[in-house]
Amino acid sequence: MAGLELLSDQGYRVDGRRAGELRKIQARMGVFAQADGSAYIEQGNTKALAVVYGPHEIRGSRARALPDRALVNCQYSSATFSTGERKRRPHGDRKSCEMGLQLRQTFEAAILTKLHPRSQIDIYVQVLQADGGTYAACVNAATLAVLDAGIPMRDFVCACSAGFVDGTALADLSHVEEAAGGPQLALALLPAAGQIALLEMDARLHEDHLERVLEAAAQAARDVHTLLDHVVRQHVREASILLGD
Amino acid sequence: MLQKREKVLLLRTFQGRTLRIVREHYLRPCVPCHSPLCPQPAACRHDGKLLSGDVTHYVIPDWKVVQDYLEILEFPELKGIIFMQTACQAVQHQRGRRQYNKLRNLLKDARHDCILFANEFQQSCYLPRERGESMEKWQTRSIYNAAVWYYHHCQDRMPIVMVTEDEEAIQQYGSETEGVFVISFKNYLDNFWPDLKAAHELCDSILQSRRERENESQEGHGKEYPEHLPLEVLEAGIKSGRYIQGILNVNKHRAQIEAFVRLQGASSKDSDLVSDTLIHGMKARNRSIHGDVVVVELLPKNEWRGRTTALCENDSEDKASGESPSEPMPTGRIVGILQKNWRDYVVTFPSKEEVQSQGKNAQKILVTPWDYRIPKIRISTQQAEALQDFRVVVRIDSWESTSVYPNGHFVRVLGKIGDLEGEIATILVENSISVVPFSEAQMCEMPVNTPEHPWKVSPGEERERRDLRKTHLVFSIDPKGCEDVDDTLSVRTLNTGDLELGVHIADVTHFVAPDSYIDIEARTRATTYYLADRRYDMLPSILSADLCSLLGGVDRYAVSVMWELDETSYEIKKVWYGRTIIRSAYKLFYEAAQELLDGNFSVVDDIPEFQGLDKKSRQDKLEELVWAIGKLTDIARHVRAKRDRCGALELEGVEVRVQLDEKKNIHDLIPKQPLEVHETVAECMILANHWVAKKIWESFPHQALLRQHPPPHQEFFSELRECARAKGFFIDTRSNKTLADSLDNANDPSDPIVNRLLRSMATQAMSNALYFSTGACAEEEFHHYGLALDKYTHFTSPIRRYSDIVVHRLLMAAISKDKKMESKENLFSNKDLEELCRHINNRNRAAQHSQKQSTELFQCMYFKDKDSETDERCISDGVIYSIRTNGVLVFIPRFGIKGAAYLKNKDGLVISCGPDSHSKWKPGFLQRFQNKITSTTTGGESVTFHLFDHVTVRIFVQASRCHSDTIRLEIISNKPYMIPNTELFHQSSLLLKSELVKEVTRSVEEAQLAQEVKVNLIQEEYQEYCQTKGRSLYTLLEEIRDLALLDVSSNYGI
Repeated sequence: MAGLELLSDQGYRVDGRRAGELRKIQARMGVFAQADGSAYIEQGNTKALAVVYGPHEIRGSRARALPDRALVNCQYSSATFSTGERKRRPHGDRKSCEMGLQLRQTFEAAILTKLHPRSQIDIYVQVLQADGGTYAACVNAATLAVLDAGIPMRDFVCACSAGFVDGTALADLSHVEEAAGGPQLALALLPAAGQIALLEMDARLHEDHLERVLEAAAQAARDVHTLLDHVVRQHVREASILLGD
Repeated sequence: MLQKREKVLLLRTFQGRTLRIVREHYLRPCVPCHSPLCPQPAACRHDGKLLSGDVTHYVIPDWKVVQDYLEILEFPELKGIIFMQTACQAVQHQRGRRQYNKLRNLLKDARHDCILFANEFQQSCYLPRERGESMEKWQTRSIYNAAVWYYHHCQDRMPIVMVTEDEEAIQQYGSETEGVFVISFKNYLDNFWPDLKAAHELCDSILQSRRERENESQEGHGKEYPEHLPLEVLEAGIKSGRYIQGILNVNKHRAQIEAFVRLQGASSKDSDLVSDTLIHGMKARNRSIHGDVVVVELLPKNEWRGRTTALCENDSEDKASGESPSEPMPTGRIVGILQKNWRDYVVTFPSKEEVQSQGKNAQKILVTPWDYRIPKIRISTQQAEALQDFRVVVRIDSWESTSVYPNGHFVRVLGKIGDLEGEIATILVENSISVVPFSEAQMCEMPVNTPEHPWKVSPGEERERRDLRKTHLVFSIDPKGCEDVDDTLSVRTLNTGDLELGVHIADVTHFVAPDSYIDIEARTRATTYYLADRRYDMLPSILSADLCSLLGGVDRYAVSVMWELDETSYEIKKVWYGRTIIRSAYKLFYEAAQELLDGNFSVVDDIPEFQGLDKKSRQDKLEELVWAIGKLTDIARHVRAKRDRCGALELEGVEVRVQLDEKKNIHDLIPKQPLEVHETVAECMILANHWVAKKIWESFPHQALLRQHPPPHQEFFSELRECARAKGFFIDTRSNKTLADSLDNANDPSDPIVNRLLRSMATQAMSNALYFSTGACAEEEFHHYGLALDKYTHFTSPIRRYSDIVVHRLLMAAISKDKKMESKENLFSNKDLEELCRHINNRNRAAQHSQKQSTELFQCMYFKDKDSETDERCISDGVIYSIRTNGVLVFIPRFGIKGAAYLKNKDGLVISCGPDSHSKWKPGFLQRFQNKITSTTTGGESVTFHLFDHVTVRIFVQASRCHSDTIRLEIISNKPYMIPNTELFHQSSLLLKSELVKEVTRSVEEAQLAQEVKVNLIQEEYQEYCQTKGRSLYTLLEEIRDLALLDVSSNYGI
């Protein structure tokens, strides 16, 4: 059997999308009543749940408190049933720690932490099904959860991945495309200002192509923004109907 | 809006567990249908090719048909083919990459009327696979469903024929929808294409070979070869260094036993193996065929063997030749094949007697390929008797481990054995050269230039281009009678006192738009092919001989490079590149230009441009021209000297050019009249190439096409050094300069041939120059060893080389980039360019091989009719240039032939020379030393042959039914051959060569005159291919060789 053809000559990807098209995105805000904020997102078959507590007093050692801004604490875990083969440890391994750190960097850049000095904001993200682009799904879910919690942010943080196959940049990679081993780039964007909150790539990619891949990821992130914005407005509309005004 | 669906796949892991994988599958309402009948072209967004409108029906092959009969679907006569995505994926998954790539190329090829319809992504075409439904059933159902949709999509205006091999499907769907017919493939061919005989034959042959294969797998008798290892094991083995990856190279002279694997890729760097790996015997070769990319496992050291150095009859005596192998070298066996490189093979069916001896199963016939390196192929056919006297093309289908020989099927007939046209066709097929005449669609793109509608410079172009018609004296210097003038020169003094040197090259890219039909054709051909008696042009003659040819006295478009040079020091101050309009004032030939340069004005009368002028203006014009030629020569000398100082290989001079020609065409080992003008023109072209290379590299550092000539490996020079030592010369091969110097010194005053042979050995040791994309290798590797230039490319012959066309486009893009203009042209990316370079290099090699083989064919045909015992022409003087254990290799300067002469014949008798120096065969033995070989008879007489000894040889042709005939030599005396008429000897053997070609063609034509019908055909073909009417073949041949001047030199060094 020959290797998979990620991009056919007619410009279709394995799952039938074209190069710049996103997977189907569905999201809901306020899925848990107890938490301050929560959200659930599906990007294709990648499903993630985010929960936000805070801002509240620092828990544990007081020494961790920052005098001028809030501490952002992020924890990432993925369900044992999230991948094709069952995982042993749901959290605490190297990959989860790294992902937690990346999420923390992303949200420190987006949340207006100066408004809540000496306090803490907790973001917990859990991946229920992993089918590529877990980082992006986590960021998007967490954004909605933070918005749901009413924590002031500079802007939405919208994330999307992009890859590079046969001279073409592909947006929003699925698991099949990621597993093929090509270069992959994850981008978190503040769409209004066009600022980059986080950019990560750990494969080799020729300098000349970087710009194109980056542009594809940024465009995809802006598309994600449109969708999330729609979700937020829908949610607010529903909430205001419930409140009765 | 896309719709999301989910597909569940169940895969089995390596551990044997079942894995459930869920994949998304998106459907869209609009998928390009590529049909001109489409009711909503805007929604379908067609890009790329459309099906043609003038077909009576569309045909949709089922997945099984695509898999098995792709070769028939490739026929350009079959039109309106819609490949469904489902079928393509079935090919990809079940038939491997090679077959799939063939399909992809077919879809991309604009000349074939076929398209791909992505049915699985279309909302209403997609059918999910039902529970318990087999893959095959689902594929057929999907394709049928898509066919029905397509029919309705085209508003029921075009009947659709779905061809399938599945009887059930024909039953089930046959009459389900009106307008969509489901029939079997055989039925389809019979009903719709009853006249397409070739397709029917091919179909039968495929069917038969499949049936055979099925039978065989049922029989399942003992295995002849070990199984190949699975791909993962091979890849892991290569990574860990346990196995070696390389290309299999079969020894032509010992095809049955000896093959070598040339290392390739990363493995060669870290392993300590420097030389090739020997593969001994067919068993160890394990079903791989010459050219395959294979994986080798080394055998333990005690099983290593040496290569055989004895001369050997091609296939008859395997054992006898293995008498004295050289020292053992790494030996291995093949454990797997990474990439099969099967192509079309020319074969010969066995003669009647042989068929009978092949025994019971007369339907399976072993045929012998023309190429010695290819094993015999088993063909199942009933036409064996009819095909006996023909050269036939076959393809290999499979090679099971249970079978000694590969299975194949018959494709088409080329021509009769021994017939000139048939043999030439054989050479073309063997080199994978396809030269059908240009099609109508291609010719439609060409501009018109007839007496009624003369071609004119368009005003738009006149504005765009720099006009040099009034300001510059432009002229061309070419061989006599040359039709396609690529390059012209100009030189003038500027107002500032500086000089302006210009090189103007035909603007082919103006006429050949990227990705037009003609461009695709030219890219496929990649070069003009020159055979001994004809040529196959890369571009139609309207371009190559007319509109792109910079003829004298007419306006032509050109691409120019112009340098401003300092008046005295000739330092380059400025350079300008751009499109121009020129009018060449003189079309000179080399000899005339040289005479003018030497101040001999008597040739003026031969130059047509000077006729009909009055004396005064004639004198003025002459002075102007002579000044320009003189100045050019001066500048060229200067540039040359500068390059020499940088360590350029001193490859100037007659011998070298001849030597360089040698590899390309062995006839050309004849000193050419050295003219300085040759040098001048060549130098200007090198200068232009060099500057263009610099320019395109600066503008496009990662996607420019350049030409590199890597430095040679020192170990290849060892034979040269040893041979030279035998004559008492020392060759220093450390750098290009020392090599050239010591070659100059190695001159035996009594025997000029020694120097020639040494030089030819030096050339053989060098690697070939190659095209490459600058993004593909480091800047240090750009170097051109022979020319001692850091960057070099080919720019000056766009009429006959595709690489130059690419370079022209790059240069144009670079110019518009400088002007900050949007480049109109879509340049190749690094990856595409790399692919293209590989293709062009490959085609160039094929061109060289075909030229060499066709020359050999003519040599053989010449000597074939002569009676070697009596005819004086068959006896000649030869020089020994290499010594083997049972014979010597001899070079015959008179005919430029190299061949082997045995000192020991098949009966084990050795040669001995009596006092009259005439040789006889007597029992005895041979002794081989470093530089000589001694033959001693049992009677005690002995005779010794040294390297570079002159001997008298008789030339005869060893005829072969299945392969090309070969020239054989027999030493008849150990004294040089004295020709009674020394005058004849001193005549350049060019004459003899022409005589040879003429005679052969004449005799061939005479033979053909007998069958009158054929004659017309041949002559038509002559007109078509040769394109030079009314001239002798000799002039044509001369023209070709002279045209090759620059080409040859840049191939190997200059």
